[in-house]
Amino acid sequence: MGAIIKAIEYVYPKNPITNEDLGYMYPDYDFSKFANKVGIEIRYWVKENETALDLAVEACEKIFLKIRREEIDYILYCTQSPEYFLPTTACILQNKLDLRKDVGALDFNLGCSGFTTGVSLAKGLISSGQVRNVLLVTAETYSKYIHPQDRSNKGIFGDAAAATLISYSEDECIGEFLFGTDGSGYDKLIVKNGCSRFGFDSNAEEVAYGTNNLYTDNHLYMNGPEIFNFTNKIIPDFTKDILAKNNLNLLDPSQYVFHQANAFMLNFLRNKIKIEQDKFFIDLRDGGNTVSCTIPIALKKYLSSKDSIDENIIIVGFGVGLSWSGGLIKIKDKL
Amino acid sequence: MTKQEFFVNLKEELEIDVALVGVINLKNLDEWDSMTAMVLIGYVSNEFGVTLTAEDLEVITTIDSLIEKIGVDKFD
Repeated sequence: MGAIIKAIEYVYPKNPITNEDLGYMYPDYDFSKFANKVGIEIRYWVKENETALDLAVEACEKIFLKIRREEIDYILYCTQSPEYFLPTTACILQNKLDLRKDVGALDFNLGCSGFTTGVSLAKGLISSGQVRNVLLVTAETYSKYIHPQDRSNKGIFGDAAAATLISYSEDECIGEFLFGTDGSGYDKLIVKNGCSRFGFDSNAEEVAYGTNNLYTDNHLYMNGPEIFNFTNKIIPDFTKDILAKNNLNLLDPSQYVFHQANAFMLNFLRNKIKIEQDKFFIDLRDGGNTVSCTIPIALKKYLSSKDSIDENIIIVGFGVGLSWSGGLIKIKDKL
Repeated sequence: MTKQEFFVNLKEELEIDVALVGVINLKNLDEWDSMTAMVLIGYVSNEFGVTLTAEDLEVITTIDSLIEKIGVDKFD
């Protein structure tokens, strides 16, 4: 008895922003080099009246072209862009998707470690015999949080939603997962104002940081160097721990799909762990860093390029929290 | 590594157009941005086993000051 990832679908907003577009918005910065270093050419931003839930509904409807919506037993909805403080966005999603009313539905607030954690939670629900079909949805619109003059983060982050169907299977196709949390780094990537601790401040001071970027405490702040150092320090050994937990050697997995943070960081990690280049997925060109959506999008892109599929894939997510998780998945069909 | 070799390597790693010397202020270079800062952190970590923090990056100005932060004893 086990669980398997059966389908993945994703959507971007309709509005593509190219590096050339960013060049017009920020004429004092050369975005042409952005494609080489960061690996991103296009990111998509929602319109003002569009939300992560809107994207999520679209992604889920694509899944329902493959399976009947009546079969869904549980919604795990990962977002840091909820519709409201309350109620739970997953409940609204149940209604918008016209799912059965005897389903479980909850939001969980994670960023770049959200998908990997969600896969593990879905496995737990299925393996314990509670449900058969879990709809894991990741949906994020960081573009709404980024200060208009924060060109670095405007360039890196894109909006997206991904829907993943995880189902009961005779064979276990979701292996062992490991987790990590270090809340001491909570303020390294944060939107400080507008919640319970600090309310929205209409007079929040504009602060310059990084290289001529601006933010206020109402906006997303990312301490890039500290996030990089955290990743560099934790993720190589963590990846090796995942391999050991699954009784695998470095060469055994057919592919490594990490959170697509940025191309430089990914290459840096790959070199440090000593993973072969053709076994390490990097593709942020179309879409950018879509937070909890990067891994399902990368899985879909990777598998669509394969002719025959019998894959052992190590997935690793890491970021805001600080939080990280990862494990082994086995894929036997195109998703 | 000598300081001269460091200047050459740094120029290559950070993809800087001009020749580098100790008194050059990194942050005045056209190429200096958040990504270049990350490349610098990665290079220094790999080459010297030294972690540059966000605070270090705030303080560093010239390449000489970067060498001091890395540790002068790490250079021949």
